[in-house]
Amino acid sequence: MSGHRVRADAYLLRRGMGLVAVYGLLLLTVVVMAMPLFWMITTSLKDIYQALRIPPQWIPNPPQWGNYPAAWNAAPFGIYFWNSFFLAITTTVGDVITSIPAAYVLAKMTFLGRGLLLSLLLGTLMIPGQMLLVPSFILINRLGWYNTYWALIIPWTAGVFGIFLLRQFFKTIPDELWDSARIDGCSRLRYMFQIAVPLVRPGIATVALFKFVGSWNAFLWVIIMTDKVGLRTVPVGLRFFMMDIGTDYPRLMAAATMAIVPVLILFAFAQRQFIQGIARTGIK
Amino acid sequence: MRLPALRRGRRFWWDTVEAYVYLLPTLAVLGLFTFYPFVNAFIYSVYDIRTRTVPGPVLHVAADSTAWVTDLARGRIPEGLSDALRVRGVDPHELWVRLRQADRWVVKDEASGQEYIIVREGEELRVHQATTGWAMESVGWANFTRAFQDPDFRKALVNTSVYVGVSVPTTLVLALLLATLLHRGVRGKAFFRLTSFLPYITPVVAITMVWAWIYDRNFGLLNYFLRSVGSLFGVEVSLINWLNDPRYVMPALIVMNVWRFVGYQALILLAGMQGIDREYYEAARVDGAGAFGVWRKITVPLLTPQMFFLLIISLIGSFKIFEEVLILLQGPGPQKSGLTVVYYVFTKAFDSGHYGLASAASVILFAIIFALSLFQLTVTQRRVHYER
Repeated sequence: MSGHRVRADAYLLRRGMGLVAVYGLLLLTVVVMAMPLFWMITTSLKDIYQALRIPPQWIPNPPQWGNYPAAWNAAPFGIYFWNSFFLAITTTVGDVITSIPAAYVLAKMTFLGRGLLLSLLLGTLMIPGQMLLVPSFILINRLGWYNTYWALIIPWTAGVFGIFLLRQFFKTIPDELWDSARIDGCSRLRYMFQIAVPLVRPGIATVALFKFVGSWNAFLWVIIMTDKVGLRTVPVGLRFFMMDIGTDYPRLMAAATMAIVPVLILFAFAQRQFIQGIARTGIK
Repeated sequence: MRLPALRRGRRFWWDTVEAYVYLLPTLAVLGLFTFYPFVNAFIYSVYDIRTRTVPGPVLHVAADSTAWVTDLARGRIPEGLSDALRVRGVDPHELWVRLRQADRWVVKDEASGQEYIIVREGEELRVHQATTGWAMESVGWANFTRAFQDPDFRKALVNTSVYVGVSVPTTLVLALLLATLLHRGVRGKAFFRLTSFLPYITPVVAITMVWAWIYDRNFGLLNYFLRSVGSLFGVEVSLINWLNDPRYVMPALIVMNVWRFVGYQALILLAGMQGIDREYYEAARVDGAGAFGVWRKITVPLLTPQMFFLLIISLIGSFKIFEEVLILLQGPGPQKSGLTVVYYVFTKAFDSGHYGLASAASVILFAIIFALSLFQLTVTQRRVHYER
């Protein structure tokens, strides 16, 4: 009996110590993970003397809110933000519109070349996008799209990620639904958009979110396909801003913070879709 | 799933037609902007490619050049011409003389930098917007030999391999540990998710700017932190010049990217762990396995699909490292210690105009990634445990 107690106590003690260790490690991880972003935001609210203090001043006092308008006015950030929003929204809409029918067809229809097409699309995931830079650059120039919005929008209006994710969602819809809809004289297109699409709304939200964030972060493609100030996106603008003002860290960090704010807001509102998207990409 | 050929009736063929109609937008975009450039990447790699200025879209046609003559004689720029060109400071007299002497004349608008080409064909004058034309000449394997003989390219290959070889396994192992910790039913998962996910979705340019600041030799957070830890143990740590010392450039890039991706990978692994059937654990416990035994014999093997997925994804992703170098080092780094393959491709193509050489370099990059993925696919596949 007492032997039992001792073993139980030892177990509890070990478990307690284990929990402390787990929480300790997790806390350390959270601190390390959050530190750079925390550092970015606090630096953005310091003056240059506070920023360069050693040991570091963790909380800016007094906070220099003026860094934000100063950064905003030091470069045409209005244009950059407009471009990023415009491109993110157009490419997201385009991607969702092309992905829905493609995903539906690949999930629900039997047709010639389906297997081949699936492996072809899956194969594109193995192509590193950077390999396509030179041929894409030449193609965009031949199309006369250099320095145009077309170059930044059209190539991104279709994507394999969205197709495969939506395909998984469409697969969960029972076939009987389509059979009964067809008997009622419903066309495939109408069924797709009026009945199937509302059922896979969470999937569409996830695809749209990832696409939006991806477009918002677009950098390499933009610096290759354009060289006009008027076509710069926020990340591209940030880079030029950095080259212009050098090591004025408070203003640099203010600009960087502005660049991530839209992503933060989106994430705050749609955390679940992001997490689901992540979980699904892994499970496949 | 697949119907035998004999049973493919009219329905099947109608469905095929309908399916391709729905697939058309996707196939058009992917075909033009993924498959076509993909094929071209190989073709271009055996060509010497140079650019030249050629007439692009027609902006204005003057069918009757006599009207222009009259205008020009009066010292005015002809109406359609000035609209089309928006050229400031063009001397009409010079313009006319040049047009009489040559069949084409290139005018550059100093304000916008845009070039225009005026072409004369008989009585007709056409104003074109100038675009970039491409002169291609087949050179066989010359681009490949040139790349392999270029010490810069070899350096880029070595640097990229070191980067991939260290950061991919490090990230995965740390992510696995993290996911294991999180899986123990701790509170505050939501907060952890937030902090681990943010690095993954925030713009890499913004993130890299912060790290450039953290890596600052004199005022950066990292050196301060290292010195503080050092002084705890009575060790004087000298300030490390992370971004200007060739020995530390690669570690700096690796640390930053491990930080960026470890949370994302942990979330995928965590989702995988949560999907493992509880029965396995119970069975193992009945058999008297300890916590570590369960983890090693059950959790990890059943996570191999996710780990395999992450390995391929991060392998492909890591070989593409470029933006980080450009922002963090503002160049290839001291003694080109941060020169990566994609950086090499980028500068060869878009700074020096060696498009063929750049294509050859990117084909080599693809070959490496492809071979490694294939290797993983065949070797690792045997070790991957799929449930059921």
